[in-house]
Amino acid sequence: MEVLSTIFNVALIVATIRTTAPILLVALGGSFTTKAGIFNIGLEGQMLIAAFFAVLGSIWTGSSLGGLVIGVAAALVFALVFAVLVISFRANEVVVGLALNILAGGMTVSLMKAIFGTRGSIVGRGIVGLPKVHIPGARDLLGPYAQLISGYTPLIYVAFIAVPLLVLIYGRTRLGLYIRVVGEKPEAAEALGISIVKVRYIAALLCGLLAGLAGAHMSLGYITMFTENMSSGRGFMAVAILIFSGGDPWRVLAGCLLFGFADSLSLRLQTFGFPSYLVLAVPYAVALTALFALSWKARPKFIRETIETMQRALSIHPAKSETPDAPSNRS
Amino acid sequence: MKTALLPDGLIRTLTGQALAFLVALSLGAVIILLIDENPVTVFTTLMRGAFGDAEKIAGTLLQTTPILICGIAACIGLRGGMFNVGIEGQLFLGGFAAAWVGFAFALPPVLHVLVAIACAVLAGAAWVAIPAFFRVRYGTNEVVSTILANYIATLLTSYFTIFLFKRPGGWSETPPILPSAYLPELFSFSRLNIGLLIGLFLAIATAAFFRWASTGYAVTMVGSAPKFAEYGGINVRKVGFGVLLASGAVGGLAGGIETLGVHHRFMEGFAPGFGFDGLIAALLANGSPIGTIITALFFGALRAGSLLLEVDTTASREIITVIQALIILAVSADLMMRRRGDRTGERRWKF
Repeated sequence: MEVLSTIFNVALIVATIRTTAPILLVALGGSFTTKAGIFNIGLEGQMLIAAFFAVLGSIWTGSSLGGLVIGVAAALVFALVFAVLVISFRANEVVVGLALNILAGGMTVSLMKAIFGTRGSIVGRGIVGLPKVHIPGARDLLGPYAQLISGYTPLIYVAFIAVPLLVLIYGRTRLGLYIRVVGEKPEAAEALGISIVKVRYIAALLCGLLAGLAGAHMSLGYITMFTENMSSGRGFMAVAILIFSGGDPWRVLAGCLLFGFADSLSLRLQTFGFPSYLVLAVPYAVALTALFALSWKARPKFIRETIETMQRALSIHPAKSETPDAPSNRS
Repeated sequence: MKTALLPDGLIRTLTGQALAFLVALSLGAVIILLIDENPVTVFTTLMRGAFGDAEKIAGTLLQTTPILICGIAACIGLRGGMFNVGIEGQLFLGGFAAAWVGFAFALPPVLHVLVAIACAVLAGAAWVAIPAFFRVRYGTNEVVSTILANYIATLLTSYFTIFLFKRPGGWSETPPILPSAYLPELFSFSRLNIGLLIGLFLAIATAAFFRWASTGYAVTMVGSAPKFAEYGGINVRKVGFGVLLASGAVGGLAGGIETLGVHHRFMEGFAPGFGFDGLIAALLANGSPIGTIITALFFGALRAGSLLLEVDTTASREIITVIQALIILAVSADLMMRRRGDRTGERRWKF
């Protein structure tokens, strides 16, 4: 019995790692834009379009790498459109992001109908999934626990390696510093002669790159198929994580693990006969609760700051918090 | 909002909007070419499907109704500086609440409709209350919280429909509502009902409220210049909360009208995308309820036309979603706005 529960636990952890990876990739992508001071709600659309084009690319080229490249390219195009409109034309980021999400949804369905003549989903038809990486010697060393580190698709390793990598980028490189300065104090960046536009473009494109990888993993990873709206809100969950993590890679990882766990747990609960509709809502409910709980937790800091500045500023607090999505905070 | 109402500003906005429109349509034509269809055929089919004959026009108006009401919900939010992206969820819950009152209770004719509508409104407002509370109290971003709430609302109503109130032998739908809860229909040949009139009335009332009522002015100020509103002695939190609540209530109303007037039952996925269409319509109209009537009509025509498009051509009806998104992108780029400075104070969502 004990053995059974151990295997059960290991399987759950493995499932958690699998479900965490795509959301982690997209959230880390969003971390670039968050740090650069752009509220990117368009992650969902970038993921979806990448998932579709990854499937398309893998059918065209007959290789999963080709699919990956084409999928990422599609996400980059979306990221570029977002960047041009938001950074150069100074359009509202929420409006542009939502419009791009809608565009991705409509475009994937239209193209699917035009190319494959079907609605709903693309299965088979020569889609090549990503290969699984088997770490040599893992099975001998760890026995049944080997599946914890071995046998994932490459992108899962990429996702988890990207976390410390991003920490290094933000902490140790010039680009990371520039991104943070541009996000935190654009005036200072301007005074230093840093091109805000350029840095934000780079951040937006890096975001597109990672969101593209996330999307490609969705359709070429463990499931090799594309379904209408298959990103099903993962991009929005990533945005929720970004809001309460402030884009910090370690906190992003923690948040993503939480959702990955909620996701895999909900899949597991489904097999135990819980109503599937309620179980499917669990990840969203977790995201929402975390968003609310952490913004409530952030309250003492807010209040401390406002009391420091002004006695009666307490009531101004909502006005101040207006800025994250109001256009006025960007010069 | 004064400047936007002045002829000079209005003309500039309209030309900008028209130019953006052209850009979007030409981009849409390119995409239609990409999927191997003739753009001219697609556009004429859309128009034929939308305005071909009296029945088709009624169909367009039928599609316009929920978009218009959702658009008004979005307008209320936008005026108060709130992005209520959760209209979709409020629509679903409102729709379910109205249907539930419709089939579970037997009430006299007019009263039945009123109670059902009231429940829809309450459900919509209740669904937005938690995100609204956290928004005004702790500054939790309402865009993300309402989007996530949408997914929960959709799944929750599906659960209610399929696990709790499924019509025996039926396909993921509740039992039909009693005839006493039907909204009166306008014509014999269409399901078009007085919901459209309610929507039009609501649009005019909302516009009048923002134009002449002092509370309306307060809401606009909270939306465009919260600090100024604060100095003017307005309780910004209270107004913000009220704005979101009102927006959610109207979203719920849209759902109620849809189930009571059109479907006469609640079905899983009964109103796909109406909430988002409404938001887009409101954005395109720059938050003006009267303008939303026109944009909602346009989107309703696209939707109605897309049904014929699916029959007559190989293109999928989602192509209209692409066109809508392109229009929004083009408009958001604000192509005409060479002189940005003169309107920055007025523009809340940089549109």
